[in-house]
Order: sequence, then C-alpha cells, then structure tokens
Amino acid sequence: MSQVNRLPAPQGSLVDRAQTVSFEFEGQCVEGFAGDTIASALAASDLWLLSRSFKYHRPRGVLTMAGQDANTLVQLSGEPNCLADRTPISEGLQVTGQNYSGSLRRDRGSLIGRFARFLPVGFYYHAFFRPRGAWNWWSAWFRKKAGLGVVDQSFVGEGFDKQYRFCDVVVIGGGPVGMSAAITAATSGAEVLLLEEHTVLGGSLNYARAGIDANAEKLRRKRLVSEVEAAPSITVMTSATATGWYADNWVSVLCGKRLHKLRARKVVLCSGYLEQLALFHNNDLPGVMMGSAAQRLIKLYGVQPGKRAVVLAGNDEAYGVVLDLLDAGVAVAAVVDCRAEVSSDERVTAASHRGVAVMSGHAVYAAHGDHQHLASVEVRRIVGQGECASHGERINCDLLCVSVGVMPAYQLACQAGAELNYEEQSASFSITRLPPNFELGEAWDVENFPWPIFAHPQGKEFVDFDEDLQIADIVNATLAGYKHVQLVKRYSTCGMGPSQGRHSALPTARLVAQATGTTIAETGVTTARPPFAPETLGHCAGRSFYPALRTNIHHRHIEAGAQMLQAGAWYRPAYYGDDPERAIREEVLQVRQSVGLIDVSTLGGIEVRGPDAAEFLNRVYTFAYMKQAPGTVRYALMTNEAGVVIDDGVVCRLGPQHFYVTATTGGVEAVFRKMLQWNAQWRLDVVLMNVTSAYAGVNIVGPASRAVLEPLCTGFDVDKTAFPYLGVRRGIVAGIPAMLLRVGFVGELGYEIHVPQHCGEALWDALMDAGESAGIRPVGIEAQRLLRLEKGHVIVGQDTDAMSNPMELQMQWAIARKKDFFVGGRSLEVLERRPLRRMLVGFCANPAGSVPKESHLIIDGDNMIGRVTSCAWSPSLEKIIGLAYVDPASAAPGSVISIDVDGRRTVSAEVVSMPFYDADGLRQAL
Amino acid sequence: MPLALLKYGLRNDYPATSHFSESADLKDHYDVVIIGAGGHGAAIAYYLARYHGISNIALLDKGYLGGGNTARNTAVIRSNYLTEEGVRFYRESVQLFRGLSNELGYNIMMEDRGQLTLAHSDAAIRSFRWRAEVNRRLGVRSELIDRQSIRELVPNLRVTDDSRFPILAGLWHADGATARHDAVVWGYARGACQRGVELHQLTEVQSVEVTDGAVKSVLTNRGRVGCGCVVQAVAGMSSVVARLAGIRLPIHTFPLQAMVTQPYKPVLTPLVSSPHLHVYVQQTSRGEFVLGGGSDPYALYNTRSTLEQKESLASAILELFPFLSQAKVLRQWAGITDMTPDYSPIMGLSSVKNYYLDAGWGTWGFKATPICGKTMASLVATGRVPELIRPFELERFYRFEQVNEAGATAASH
Amino acid sequence: MKILICPLNGPRNISEFTYGGEYHPLADPQKSNDRAWADYVFFHDNHAGIVIEWWCHTASSYWFLAERDTRTDNVVRTFPASELATSDGRS
Repeated sequence: MSQVNRLPAPQGSLVDRAQTVSFEFEGQCVEGFAGDTIASALAASDLWLLSRSFKYHRPRGVLTMAGQDANTLVQLSGEPNCLADRTPISEGLQVTGQNYSGSLRRDRGSLIGRFARFLPVGFYYHAFFRPRGAWNWWSAWFRKKAGLGVVDQSFVGEGFDKQYRFCDVVVIGGGPVGMSAAITAATSGAEVLLLEEHTVLGGSLNYARAGIDANAEKLRRKRLVSEVEAAPSITVMTSATATGWYADNWVSVLCGKRLHKLRARKVVLCSGYLEQLALFHNNDLPGVMMGSAAQRLIKLYGVQPGKRAVVLAGNDEAYGVVLDLLDAGVAVAAVVDCRAEVSSDERVTAASHRGVAVMSGHAVYAAHGDHQHLASVEVRRIVGQGECASHGERINCDLLCVSVGVMPAYQLACQAGAELNYEEQSASFSITRLPPNFELGEAWDVENFPWPIFAHPQGKEFVDFDEDLQIADIVNATLAGYKHVQLVKRYSTCGMGPSQGRHSALPTARLVAQATGTTIAETGVTTARPPFAPETLGHCAGRSFYPALRTNIHHRHIEAGAQMLQAGAWYRPAYYGDDPERAIREEVLQVRQSVGLIDVSTLGGIEVRGPDAAEFLNRVYTFAYMKQAPGTVRYALMTNEAGVVIDDGVVCRLGPQHFYVTATTGGVEAVFRKMLQWNAQWRLDVVLMNVTSAYAGVNIVGPASRAVLEPLCTGFDVDKTAFPYLGVRRGIVAGIPAMLLRVGFVGELGYEIHVPQHCGEALWDALMDAGESAGIRPVGIEAQRLLRLEKGHVIVGQDTDAMSNPMELQMQWAIARKKDFFVGGRSLEVLERRPLRRMLVGFCANPAGSVPKESHLIIDGDNMIGRVTSCAWSPSLEKIIGLAYVDPASAAPGSVISIDVDGRRTVSAEVVSMPFYDADGLRQAL
Repeated sequence: MPLALLKYGLRNDYPATSHFSESADLKDHYDVVIIGAGGHGAAIAYYLARYHGISNIALLDKGYLGGGNTARNTAVIRSNYLTEEGVRFYRESVQLFRGLSNELGYNIMMEDRGQLTLAHSDAAIRSFRWRAEVNRRLGVRSELIDRQSIRELVPNLRVTDDSRFPILAGLWHADGATARHDAVVWGYARGACQRGVELHQLTEVQSVEVTDGAVKSVLTNRGRVGCGCVVQAVAGMSSVVARLAGIRLPIHTFPLQAMVTQPYKPVLTPLVSSPHLHVYVQQTSRGEFVLGGGSDPYALYNTRSTLEQKESLASAILELFPFLSQAKVLRQWAGITDMTPDYSPIMGLSSVKNYYLDAGWGTWGFKATPICGKTMASLVATGRVPELIRPFELERFYRFEQVNEAGATAASH
Repeated sequence: MKILICPLNGPRNISEFTYGGEYHPLADPQKSNDRAWADYVFFHDNHAGIVIEWWCHTASSYWFLAERDTRTDNVVRTFPASELATSDGRS
C-alpha cells in the first residue's frame, strides 16, 4: 500500500521525503519516510488499527499522536509496550500488535466484549473463589489474559549509562512558553538547560493554530528558536523527557539510552497541557482522536487524518483544528459545538465563512464503526448536564476530532509537592502551592467544556481506555461504597494502566464528585508518582557497578589455584586446589605439623592514640586495658548497648597512649563508625583511624613458623623469651617495616605480620621462599575456620547471632568486672540476673556417622532445644567436632545431645569441654 | 461462568448496596474503638463481630479505608520465618488466608506461587538451613535447594558462576503466596459492616483520654467518643498514636519503597527474593513486575520516592533477570514501616488499661492480617492474651527477651 | 537526591552520609534501675516532627548533629556535636 494519505509538502515538517523507509507491521510491508513514527507511517498508508484493549480487546488507534495515551502500544523485538506514536521507523523494523488471539485485525479475544454485562466493575472480587481454592485455577487463566507485550527472555540490555548534569535553571518543555522562559532566564545570566521531549523544539507551535493566519505559528517558532540557539548559556536537549522530580530539584531526564541526573537551582515547568476526552458511546473507535492529534498528523507528518471529518468542540481551539483540516483537504461535515452560544473568535468566523456548518448546543452522543474504524456519529442536542435529546442526526465521517478541554501536565509539579486546584469558572484544574525554587511557565487561557460526558444506555463511553472502564463502572464503584477517589481508583483500577490517568483523572473527578455529592475540587485526582513517562529498568540501572576488593596478595592466590569466596566486597581464598575436602584437610594438617601461610589482609585494623586511648578502649570493649603492658596483646570483645556481642578482635598496646586494634573483616567499618559516634558524645582525648586498607597481613603459622621467619627479621628477636605468646613487636621483616602479633586463633605457634599494603605480595613471596625447604603452603579461609574450631574459638556472625551475649558464649572471663562502665555493661548486669536461656557448647559426634551441618537443630523429643553453629570433621583429632547452642540443662560436659540431620537421621553427640585440641594451649605458646 | 457473574449480568440494575456502612455521625460511646481502618483494624473488627458477638464498634481512620500500609505493601504471604514463635504465628496466618475468600465471600485473589529466597554466601546458606529446619519441624513447607533445583524452578533466573554475586543455594518455600492486598481490607471491612460495625473514614483521633490508668474516650476531629476499650492498629503511625495515650514504644519508623512495571505476558510464577542484593520481585496477575527491597536508610514519616532506590532496585534485579532491562517502570510509591529491635510485632496489653496495641509491623504486617485480626479480637473480647501472641508482648523488652527475626525479614536488613 | 549540609564539608548528596539515629543525652547506667535501663536501651520517642539526630559524613568519618522535621524531611540546621556534648560526656 503506497502512502495514500500522504499530503504534499510543506505539510510534514518532521519527515524527509527523500528517504523512504520500509518496515513490517503485523507481517505486512509498509513504507514511510525518515522522520515518521510507526503510527504516522501506518496512518499514511491508511492503517489505523494499532492495538487491542486490555479487557475487552476493542480495536484502538491514534488518540493523541504524542505518546500521551497507551492506545499505540506495539511490540518490537526485544522491546514490548512500545509507543508507536513516539517510536521512529527504521529500515527492516518488525512491529506487531500485542495482546490478541489470532491476529490484530481478527482477535478472538474480542468475543469477551459480548459478555461485558457480566463483567461489572470489580467483578473478579465477587466470583471465581468457590469452591475453596478455585481462584488458583482461575488465576492461571486470568494471568494469561493479562499483560500487554511479551518480554524477550533472551534479551540483554546494552549501552545504558548515566550522566550527572548541573544548571541554574532547567526549563521543562520547549514550546513557546518554555523557549520564552529559557530566553528570559539566560538574559538574566543563568546557565539554562532547556528540555524538550519531542525531536524538535516548538511544542504547540509545531501543530496548533491560534488564529486564522496559517503561518503565524511557523514564524513565531522560527523567531524563538533562533533566539534560543543564539543564547550561549542555553543548552538544548531534544528527545529528552523529564521523568521525575526528586528532593532538592533532582530531576531524572531520559534521552536515548542515557539517564541524566540533573541538579537545578530552579525548575521552570512549561510542559503545557494534555488534551482531554469526551465521553460518549464508542468514544474509543479508531478514527476518534484529539483535535491536536489530527493537527500533528497533518503538520508534523504530512498525513491526512481522514476524508470526512466531524469536529466536537468545547472551546475555540477546535476551530483552529477545523481550519487545519480544511487546509489539508479534509471535508468538515459539521462542527458539533457543545457550547450554547457561538464564539466570536476569528477562527470561528473563518470556519463559518468557509462553509462549515456549526451545530451549537449539540454533542456527539454516539460513534459507530465499520471494519474497526469510525464510519458515522450520532449528534444530539444537549438538554442538561450530561443529557441529550431523545433523537438526533447521523453524520457520516471517518474522522472525529475532539477538542473539549485540557488538563495541565501536572505530574512533575505534584511530585514536587504542588497541589491541583479545580476552578468551577473555567471547569479546569490548575497547579497551585508550588514548592520553593519551582515555577510554572506562563499560563494559557484555558477553556474547558464543563461536562463533555454523555452516558448511553449501552454504555461503552470509556473513561479509562487502558482499563476499559465505562461511566457505569466509575459510578457503580461509588455506589458499592468505594466513594473516596482513591478507593474508586483501586476498586475499578481506573488510572492504573500505562497512561496513568492522563485522560481518566479529569472525567473520574467529575463523575465521582457527582455520584458522591461532593465538589470536583474536594474529590481531586489520585497521587502523582514518578516516573511521569516510562523508563526501562535498563535506564534505571545504567552500568552495573559493584566494586570488588582484592588484597595485595590476590594474584598469588590465583596462581596457586585458589578457589575464591566473597566476604562482603572482599575476595578471599577459600582453599587451594580442585578438591575442597582434600585441600582443606591437607591445609589443616600442614599448619598443625609444619607451617602454612594465610592472607589476613582483610582483617579490620584501627589505630587508637591519645591520652584517653586506654580509657576509650575500656569503654567500648568488655575487657580491661588500662593496665595492659606495652608490647602485649589482649582479646577484645565488643557488645552493643543491649549486651549483644557484635564484634571481636585483639587489642595491641604499642605504647602508653598508642593501641592497634583488630576487628572482623565484615564488621570493621561499622565498628569504626560506631566508635567515632560514641566519642562524639564522650569527647575523650583520643584519635581513631581506620587503617584496614593501609595494611596487608600475613599469618605464618605452624610449629616450623619461627624457624622460617627468623632469618628474615631485623631489629627484634623472635625467640620465645624475647617475643612470647600474646606479644606484639615492631621491626623489619624481609626488608619491610612490619608489626607482628602472636595470637591464638588457630592454636599453633604463629606470627600475624602486618605490613604496608603495597608490600603484601613481597612479604608473601619472601615467606614462601624462606619456607620452601619446610614445605610451606598457602592456607585458605576454610582451613582457618576448621583450625579455630579445633580450638573452640567463636566466629562472630557464625557462632553468634542477633541475640548472643557473653554469658551464653561462656565468655564471662572477657568481662572486666571492676570497670565503671563499658557499652553493654549495664545490660549484661540485667541479663546476668536472669536465667540463661541457652549456652554455646562444644560437642563431639560419632566419627562413623554423618557430619551434621551448621544450623542443624538439637532436638529433645519434639522440642527444638538448640542448633549447631559450626561443625566439621577434624583432621587433627580424627573426629567430628562442633559448636552448638543447647538449653542450659544439656550444657554440662558429658551430656548427650541429639542432632537432627535434614530430618532423615538423628546423630548422637556428646558435650565436651573446650578446646578440643591442645587443651592446655601449649602449642600456641611455644 | 461463575454463577455470581451470571446474576449480575441478568439484572437490570447494578447491586446498589454499599459494602460499607454509611454512618453519618459518631455515637457517644462504643464498646470498642479501633484506631486505624487498615487490614489489621478491619480484621479485628470482623472477628469481633463475627465470632464474639461484639459489633458496637467504631472503626476509625484519618484517611480512606486501607489507605495506609495496606494499600502500599507488596502483598507477599509467607511463613518461612526463623523463630518458633514467629513460624507458629505466620503459619496460622497462611492457613487463615487460604480460606479467607470463602470466609468473607470476597475474592482476595490468593495465589500459591511459592517463594524462592536466594543465598549468595555461606552465611546465607547457614541462615536458610536454620529456617528450613525450624519450618519443617513446625509443618511449614520450606527446604534448602541447590542450584540445579533453582534452575528448574525459575528457568529464566540467571544462575551462573560469572555473575558478580553467584547464587549458591536457595530457600524454597512452597507455601509462599500473594493476594490482592486491597481486597483483604475491603473484604474484612465489608464483613464487619454487614454485622453492624461502623466504619468512619476521614476521622482522625486527636487525643486519647486516660483516667485512673484506663482509657475512657478518644477525641476526634468529628467529636468525642467514649469507649469501653481501644485498639490501635495504625502501622506507620504507631509511636505517634501511642503517645496520645502516654505510651512509648520501641519503634523506629522508616519509609519502604517499591515500584511496579507496565503489564507484560506472564514469564515468572514464583516470588523471588535476594536479601544480599536487597531486592525481591513478583509478577502480579495483571502481568506487572512489582519490585521491592531494603528500607530507606533514615527515619522519615513520608511516602516520597527517591531516584536512588529506583536505581538500586533496577541494578539489583538485572543481576538476577537481565532480560528485565526492557521492562518499563510505571510507578514508584512507598509505605511507612514501624521497625522494632527484633523484627517481630508488638501485640497485646499496654501500660494503659483497656488500651490494646497492634504495632511494630515493619515489613511483616500484611501477611499477618488474618491471625492478627483473630488473636487481637480474642484479646479484646475475653481480656486474655492468646498464647500465640504472648511472645510479642511489649513487656518482653523490659525482660531483654526478644523474638529475633533478623535474617528472616524481607530483603531489607 | 536530597542534599544535606555537612558542617565540615558543606552541601553533599545524602548518599554520602550514614544515619546514626535519634540523639539522646547519655543515661547514667548506675542511676537507672533495670526497668529504666531497658527503657533507655529499647524505647524511643520516634517523634513525627523536628528531631535532633546523628549523621556521619562517611568518607570523612565526621559525625555531627542535625535538626530535621521527620514529616517533611526538611533539615532545619546541621551543627557540630560539640554543641551538645559536655566534657567527659558520660552522663
């Protein structure tokens, strides 16, 4: 079909007739021009059927020609729910309709329209649930019927990104009001960003007609555009839609594949008005469109919108439409003017001079179609509000242009906190109570016909096209008791579809006000929420950005064949090799029998310095530090104000006023921040620094560790007397300045060496070299977990939960009773006076049985009396060992407990005192 | 074609009986005043009227019926919690939900979908196993499942080794379901009103009058109302309303945001949640994808939306379902959640006689609607706290006894 | 994105800050009985109105106080914690 409706130049300011573009719609090849949208190209070829409605599968076509309605939603590959009147055509583009059975033209789903009377508003709330469980069956059916487009599950979004922008003034809307506002702002020295959602500036100047001079808008547009282009401080963005307003004038702008995040000192909203519907029987037929839609077709795309038109007028703008239709060669059979009196506007007079018949005080009562397109309208005299005479006149036409009123594009303003105010005088809503730094562009004079709503005995006067809601649906919702406009919305789903109430809010407010005996002002509209226009999740996500942290020794782990695991944002080696069971077992034995190397760089580190340093530590930890001798290491247990254990580590005293404190990898950031918060109130004379990422740390551990380390050390001695267990020393190791700690976490002779982080790899290499003859191996986190379990040590976050207190953990020894105060101390006093509800104990299980897993429950008959928190086969002891919470009655060593393993087996275990390995702690103190 | 619809179709006029009472003025006195006509308040009124023969009740709301958190939640029903007390409680609720449409004669559109919670770390696996074990022993269908089973359940979920946060395992809760949240409050309110309960919307309680340690009346914007007892069920405003009665609560209030896409043909049946990524998703019966995630980071009594949260939810969901990149966001909104120290509710007695609390519902309120209605009604009618909700009494904090559900709440924490 | 004015760094996006909860003067644990202590630990004003609360500029680890209306999210002012703390502010 060649473009039968195409008008000759100069009509069609956006299309380039030199470039023909072929695309496919519903399998049919269609030709258009570059600059056409899918809808305009189809219209040029007299193809007006674009979609099927959600509920009744009624045929739908062009309504606004500006992407303001959802009639034009079509399916592209990799993009469902695409606005056909906003999407440009491209060579080879494949487009289909959505939500039909069979074809768009012959949709079997439209049969449901015959049952409309059985489907009143909210019908699904009153049926489909008997017998019990029936809805599960029905909902599968509803689910298939619901939804519009089809998501392509193999689609991968690419090329989305984001950009920050800043300006003094952002003007939203590049029409005459916006361009003037931008020029004014620029003249006063502001940096201005002018946003226009369509491809070119101009707004209504591109299609509307304010007077009889057909060229007036073109000239005005040309003048304004050149002024805008001449102003150096105005930046113009076209095809840029402001989708949301957020706090402090943070505006989201979608342009292509980019989400711009704009901070503006001032917002000026010049987004104009959205033309509104009239309600009459079959007002949704293809061929019924807004007057401005017809004007856009003619002037932007050079498409004749029909052959024989009727114009439904409620204001003088309709007559600009009439003149444009005549100029485009469309016969105007009549103007049906709802107003009783003829206006004296020059456009009205001109229309009359050109022979157009005007029927004042009349309305379109019904539209009738033929082959899914408008064929005639029934016009009747208006006899009262919403009431017509009992008979009227049939007028044949294939185009009905509706121009009865407008609604401001209020959404962004209301997102910012503005309110809508209804004025009875002009029968229109206007935006009021603007927040600071938010202005509106100059307002037009708006003339709305107050009641373009004509109920019909057969209904189908659609209030909401997206949801197929008719007048009776809205009224009946209120009769059923859903009177508040929010309840009307939720009960009927009015305004909940893709056009989000752009055309339904106004008639709904009118109908609900009338039905409930309130005013339209009181009724109002439902809340405006971002986004104003659809944004894909791809836009909102942009480029994925999840930082990963690696220690300085990372490469050595990979080279050694480590399987990495994630601990927060850190990557740590879990074990080295392909067989986890074997690797972990060998690494454990390596440490027990010889020497292993563990990367502990992720461990938290905090420097604490100052006259009040010891006092500070006394307050944040449960243990005592005032009298701690320099050069020694003490355990550190942290509780929160409620007495719950939240972190642990060690405190190293480096000097009278200097401490180095370690914290868990995952906890250090929060611990550090909390310490600072406490001191913001205590105001002790102490300085804190989070040095976690400043240091790399390597633990060299095992009976052979001293021998391996000793040759590398300068400036200090590593023999047992000079550097005992729980000591801290500073010196040079392998030429690197280092701090060394001797701690008992894994229960062997060992040295935790902290060096500047960029020296981590060098230290690792030096130790691996030095230990080669001793058979040194890298040891991963899993082995470390097992080693500490053999010593009965608790891991905060694994063996502790959101409620664990030190008494339950059998760590009363870590609570310094003589201290005046520490965080959590008072709560621990309260808790100590209450009976313990559970205790963490060590257990051994039958080596021949299954290994219980962490979180398997301890059961006593039907009761759950605890759970396993750590459990593993111990290579050093050759038995199954673990930690578990049990009720205090079962906590005594020797008690037998039952562990429910996955509901299939019960494993018997015996409570034992800890540590499991080297009970006297001799090996770590070598 | 269901019989009910045939009846509608063959009549000439739409049934014009209002579902709710059209009460004009407030009476001088009611046996029970319920502050808050959301799901909980309406449910309490219903159970009182239906099962305890008490209908001299004023159900008050400062806004429209269900306009608080009931209108704003993401309608998830599940019982895969962590503590014994919690699991028993939510288990009962799921059971009641199953029969609720038939109980109320109002379709709440409950759909069994199953809920899959994803583990991206060993710590998460541990936590899920704990929940699965406790659930199983209490008759709730939950199990820890491996990657292969996850792939079979949700074929379009990205389960690969090269994602930034590989999925290691999942907690599959076959009892997970959704319902039409508005229908729940409407159904309960209708059932209550049919039995004589008076619903008064746009009626704000401005002060609570306590004499000799007992509540005697409330003052509203429409006049004073004497009362035998008061129940407050005002999620999002619990501290504010409690303060009127001189009661302080262990609550911090934060917004919880959510968003929804345009409708698409169905591709996702189960609910999928990733606490690690702070996102959960379900595709509704309308075909829209509802996305929710973590609570807002600071306290606020406001339902404004932020761009940051939308960006965060979008990033997170595309890690799991990359193809959703093409889905278009339709709308963002928020509710206001009352968070407690232990992520469990506060139900029962207060320091004021005859003033009952239904508070601290955080992100776990909708799913508890029926059991809350039933137990609170029992308390109001008999004066005795039902055993099922005794663990949630306000007093527990004075005893340092918490029912700690951290780790089993939504993607928030 | 909301802007918060850090007393140290000036106006920054709120994503740069960590919220620290309601401000309350430190209670003296020795002067509180068990019930009063539990009250202090668990119970809160959670006021809908202007409150004083803690904020931290995360990157600079700087804690300060803000007066904010928790209904409108309007920040009345931000100020250094030293304004409210007493020396040795344990009680």
